[in-house]
Amino acid sequence: MQQVITENKKAFMTGNETAAWAALVSGADIMFGYPITPQNEIMHYWTRLAPQYGRGFLQTEDEISAGFTVCGAVQSGKKAFTATAGPGNVLMQEPFGMAEGMRLPLLAVIQQRGGPSSGTVIYSQQEVTLTTFGGNGEGHRIVYSTATHQEIFDYVIKGFNTAWKYRFPTFILGDGYQAKMREPLELYDPETRGIEIVDTYPLVGLEGSISSADRGPQHLCNIYSMEEELYDVVMEISAEYESISPEVVEYEEKHCEDAEIIILSHGVVSRAADDAVEALRAQGIKAGYFRPITLRPYPEKALRAAIARSGAKKLLIAESAYGQFYRLTRQEIYGETAKIETLFMPGVGIVDNDIVSKVKSIL
Amino acid sequence: MALVKIALAGEGGQGVQSVAEIIAEAAYNEEKQTIYIPNFGLEQRGGVSIAFIQVSDEKIGAPKFDKADVVIALSERAVGRTAHYSDENTLFVYDSGFNADAIDLPEEAKKIIGLPAVDTANKELHPRVFNIIIMGAVIGLTNIVDFEAAKKALESKLGYKFEQNPDLRTLNYKALEIGKKMAEESLKEGVR
Repeated sequence: MQQVITENKKAFMTGNETAAWAALVSGADIMFGYPITPQNEIMHYWTRLAPQYGRGFLQTEDEISAGFTVCGAVQSGKKAFTATAGPGNVLMQEPFGMAEGMRLPLLAVIQQRGGPSSGTVIYSQQEVTLTTFGGNGEGHRIVYSTATHQEIFDYVIKGFNTAWKYRFPTFILGDGYQAKMREPLELYDPETRGIEIVDTYPLVGLEGSISSADRGPQHLCNIYSMEEELYDVVMEISAEYESISPEVVEYEEKHCEDAEIIILSHGVVSRAADDAVEALRAQGIKAGYFRPITLRPYPEKALRAAIARSGAKKLLIAESAYGQFYRLTRQEIYGETAKIETLFMPGVGIVDNDIVSKVKSIL
Repeated sequence: MALVKIALAGEGGQGVQSVAEIIAEAAYNEEKQTIYIPNFGLEQRGGVSIAFIQVSDEKIGAPKFDKADVVIALSERAVGRTAHYSDENTLFVYDSGFNADAIDLPEEAKKIIGLPAVDTANKELHPRVFNIIIMGAVIGLTNIVDFEAAKKALESKLGYKFEQNPDLRTLNYKALEIGKKMAEESLKEGVR
């Protein structure tokens, strides 16, 4: 593979451009996509960069098709990905479900826009439920919620590896702000950081033959005749998902040792939460910060431990949606007695002052 | 340098986003932490376009903000659209050529400043460098980047045009300088 970046390179670019560069250094072979704001520039930059490095691109007739073409490409052993947002994410749930059912190493970058429906083209955190538990499956997906451009770069690289290592569809959940804003980051070749790129491999058309018993049958299936057959498959996938979860789960925690209130947030909102916690601490208010980086699997144990360690009586959940992250969190920490307060600002940005004022109003 | 928050707003096509991009690029080149986020509503043309810039020596948190240190409204409509970004710490800048009856200036501001940017561009320079006067004004008001860095950023963005027509370089640099001086004077005079 042609080396994309020889030396660490500082850059000031949009999150979309960052995602395209990250896919390139990860060795992605091809992107399938269909335009929708605010993720368009991932496609735009990819189509500019890909030909220079012998990579491919296909614009399909819609998002359903973009998702299914990724499902097809990865079965042939190609490192394929897509990117979408909003109504496009809704349409892609059908292929994403197939990827869950057939254990396909699909990677999708989601840049959340406002909803419901076409909502806004700008920003939200309203695609949490859809990205974590969309489709008619059981949410057997890995979802990284990024907060900075550096993380978009890091987690696209990691996401491809996760997808191919564990064979669960993997998502990089960004948002319109991250997509469109420019901020500094460092681009690098993963290998120079000791990151080993997980090899891709074909899932069908394998060497040898079943008749001569060289290998077992490769039976990738998304429909079953008997309910018991499906039951066995879903139970097996569930068990495997649960067994890998401890290795995959990621979170960030600050000041939880003695926190009276823990502020929970994810994605770009955690930047405001981080600042808010520092501001509250400076005013003598013992606030803590907890941020799941993986929304699926959820860092349930770590959060329960943080609550226990701190003895926090209250949690504040802040999100740019009306309770999607709240519901996800609540089910994970069922039984905890700390009171959950909420700051729901669907479709609009949250700044540190919003959180500081909310905390002061409830303490 | 402490965090400086700037909102630049105007009509689509006035060059608001280009100017914001050049300023942000200049700050980044000076090794400052910088965020630039365009407001990109459905109205790609003909709507009020807002650019949000934050520059700091420290890591920057949320990409958006409620109140700006400097708001610059480049059209009559933009004044109303951006008034809520202004509070008692904000320098609120508009063009002094606007029809006073057509604009709703913010109730709260540290200082409300009318700059003759359109008039100066039209009479002394060229209508096309109106946005560069504004860029100069941003620098004059905030000092987020030094003047030489701003010129360099301008060169890297527009250098290919300057090559074809060196007069453009002189014109742009002049606009930048006039804008900067205009803003600095306004701070001294306390125009209201």
